[in-house]
Amino acid sequence: MAVSLSSSNLLLLLLISSLDWLSTPGSAFLMVRDHVTSLAPLEPHITECVSRDQETFRCWWSPGSFHNLSSPGSLRVFYLKKESPASEWKECPEYVHSNRECFFDVNHTSIWVPYCMQLRSHNSTFYNGDYCFTVENIVRPDPPVSLNWTMLNISPSGLSYDVMVNWEPPPSADVRAGWMRIEYEIQYRERNTTTWEALEMQPHTQQTIFGLHIGKEYEVHIRCRMQAFTKFGEFSDSIFIQVTEIPSKESAFPLTLVLVFGIVGILILIMLIVVSQQHRLMMIVLPPVPAPKIKGIDPELLKKGKLDELNFILSGGVMGGLPTYAQDFYQDEPWVEFIEVDAEEEDAGEKEDNQGSDTQRLLGLSQPASHHLTISFPDDDSGRASCYDPDMPDQDTLMLMATLLPGQPEVEEASLDVVKRAPAPEKSERPLVQTQTGGPQTWVNTDFYAQVSNVMPSGGVVLSPGQQLRIQENTSGIEEETVKKGKEHKGSEGTEENKQKELQFQLLVVDPEGSGYTTESNARQISTPPSSPMPGDGYQIIHPQHVETKPVATAEDNQSPYILPDSPQSQLFAPVADYTVVQEVDSQHSLLLNLPPRQSPPPCLPQHPLKALSSMPVGYITPDLLGNLSP
Amino acid sequence: MDVFLCISVFLVVCLVSVVQQGVWALLLWPSLFSSCLPLDCKEEQGSLSRCPSISQEKLLDRIIQHAELIYRVSEESCSLFEQMFIPFPLQFQRNQVGYACITKALPIPSSKSEIQQISDKWLLHSVLMLVQSWIEPLVYLQTSLDRYDAAPDMLLNKTKWVSEKLISLEQGVVVLIKKMLDEGMLTSNHSDQGLFQYDVQPEMLESVMRDYTLLSCFKKDAHKMETFLKLLKCRQTDKYNCV
Repeated sequence: MAVSLSSSNLLLLLLISSLDWLSTPGSAFLMVRDHVTSLAPLEPHITECVSRDQETFRCWWSPGSFHNLSSPGSLRVFYLKKESPASEWKECPEYVHSNRECFFDVNHTSIWVPYCMQLRSHNSTFYNGDYCFTVENIVRPDPPVSLNWTMLNISPSGLSYDVMVNWEPPPSADVRAGWMRIEYEIQYRERNTTTWEALEMQPHTQQTIFGLHIGKEYEVHIRCRMQAFTKFGEFSDSIFIQVTEIPSKESAFPLTLVLVFGIVGILILIMLIVVSQQHRLMMIVLPPVPAPKIKGIDPELLKKGKLDELNFILSGGVMGGLPTYAQDFYQDEPWVEFIEVDAEEEDAGEKEDNQGSDTQRLLGLSQPASHHLTISFPDDDSGRASCYDPDMPDQDTLMLMATLLPGQPEVEEASLDVVKRAPAPEKSERPLVQTQTGGPQTWVNTDFYAQVSNVMPSGGVVLSPGQQLRIQENTSGIEEETVKKGKEHKGSEGTEENKQKELQFQLLVVDPEGSGYTTESNARQISTPPSSPMPGDGYQIIHPQHVETKPVATAEDNQSPYILPDSPQSQLFAPVADYTVVQEVDSQHSLLLNLPPRQSPPPCLPQHPLKALSSMPVGYITPDLLGNLSP
Repeated sequence: MDVFLCISVFLVVCLVSVVQQGVWALLLWPSLFSSCLPLDCKEEQGSLSRCPSISQEKLLDRIIQHAELIYRVSEESCSLFEQMFIPFPLQFQRNQVGYACITKALPIPSSKSEIQQISDKWLLHSVLMLVQSWIEPLVYLQTSLDRYDAAPDMLLNKTKWVSEKLISLEQGVVVLIKKMLDEGMLTSNHSDQGLFQYDVQPEMLESVMRDYTLLSCFKKDAHKMETFLKLLKCRQTDKYNCV
């Protein structure tokens, strides 16, 4: 029975509820009311009750379509506080008729206690439906205050940024005491768009918004509610966030690019300069070390230690192969000065010293030729590789011969020309044909010649002081001719081999005592001209016809002026004690000298020179005369 | 040096993950959280305490966390139940379940003005009364929900969790009373109010309505507990500006 009753009740209830389901959603109270009075005029009803701080609350009512009840006081609000079963309906403690509001202050507000509201008219009409609630469930907190934002950072691309938004809890909500636990919800949107972006709810008073775009304006507002409750408060006033572009960062980027490219370009330029001027820079930074270089000698010989060849060259086997005279030699310096035994002794100006040195050198001539060569050669070269012009020896030789021979003005000019061209001589431009110059006459009469009195078996040469050894004019002329030839043949530079082939002279020393002629080997040993200044009038008879080119190594560089054309078969007549003057040339082209009777006339005597000699006071042969000489 | 950096980064990541997992564990398995604090640790005079001690402030903070969580879960359970079982037109009744609640008879302040007037001791005792009065009804609720056919597991889990948490909350409040008020152990007087008669099987609708009422009332009381505890904390830290 009870079961059937309960089941019927249940069915009825279900039917009613199903009917109610058809109505529009809304507050429970309103929905029921609407369903019932969907067609009837709207009754006065309580619109809403709201609490802002969980300490007080307000209720609003509406007269509905019953406009006659809209006047203040026509409708009265009653509430029931269900604290105990014996509770009674009480009237609203405070009316605010302007708002149709009923305000419940702190004394009349109880939390966790159900309230029911009721509207009554003057004539005690009760209206259906109660509006019941508990205060904590109707709490809608005020919106937070002091909403502002700060920029956190900007993305590396400079297009988006992050913002930190912070605020204060609503002052009406007693959050600090813990009376209300509030959580906040931030919403933002771009300006002039309709949809809001909502961030996650959280109870803290700050929140970060990520990914905002530069240049766009954003609108942000916030609302809050009690934690674990459903009713939100009102939204706060919106704030606007906008960040414009930052030009400084933009401009810094190309500036750095420009700097980087500039530096790279400068570096490339420096590299190019270094590479192009490499040799010059290397010269400046690392000057080359002077290599051991001897004028006229191939450095290869020095390297490989071919001493024999070296000796040959140095001893004068090659005429003019080793130019030994420095540039300044041809200036107005006494011949004696050039003669130096020691390299350190730069100034050997005294004749006595030179004489002694010469004699000593001649006597003690057992040293290697290269030694003498190196000593007596004041080369002013700073060590530049092959800086010494190989043509210099020719020039020097020529100059020396020119200065040796007194003389012809043309020769002088030539010599002077040669002197001029000494610095940068062109081989093809040497018009030195007549090298007979009357140059510095001073040293002609100086100890240029010395008569070798005897040659010792050990190789030493005994010079007789007071005698002067002169080179015959024909000899010099031959020399000149050959020199000229040599010069003409020269087309390349540094061809010492050519010189050796073409300029081969041999120093002939005649023993006035009749010990015989000096051989080739003897001649080699003669290193320096005798320095005894003896104005002698003796002449040396030579054999000009035997001008053969022989590679003869000169003992010294300064030996070249004394190198005479000679042939191994040349036979000198018996050594004479004094110099003799060629008086005439007989039909056999032999020179007739004003010889002492014991002296036999030489088999081969040049004839031409006699003629020339007679006309010349000194008795030198000019090249043209020389040409007339024929074997 | 690089190896050291790698190891340190790895350790930090591990630590962060562990902390995260700890937080999740706190939320999902509150029992673990409660087990961290052996509330039944008995301190004896003159003997070395075996239990780790906890400061009063930390204890109060933990209790407040418990209460907040309990309220949140209860609110979720109520909403879930309401959606599942309660027809919409009857949902408004949750607002007027005031005198149907079982705790209406308890002398608990219900307005802010009243709360301002009572002492800390009375606040704590109020909380304790509330907690103790709800332990048994929640058990009943659990059994009642189990009898439903379409009760979702989430609802059941939540209610179970709430009942368990409530017990640990009671323990915490007891310890706090002992520490703060230097009172002896209050025996939990689970007064058999006889509200629930297990022998009678209620009808489905009644059961539903009763469960709905229970859940709503419990939600309200959980909020009350949380508020009381927070006010107490405020009083502890700043006496002059609090309620």
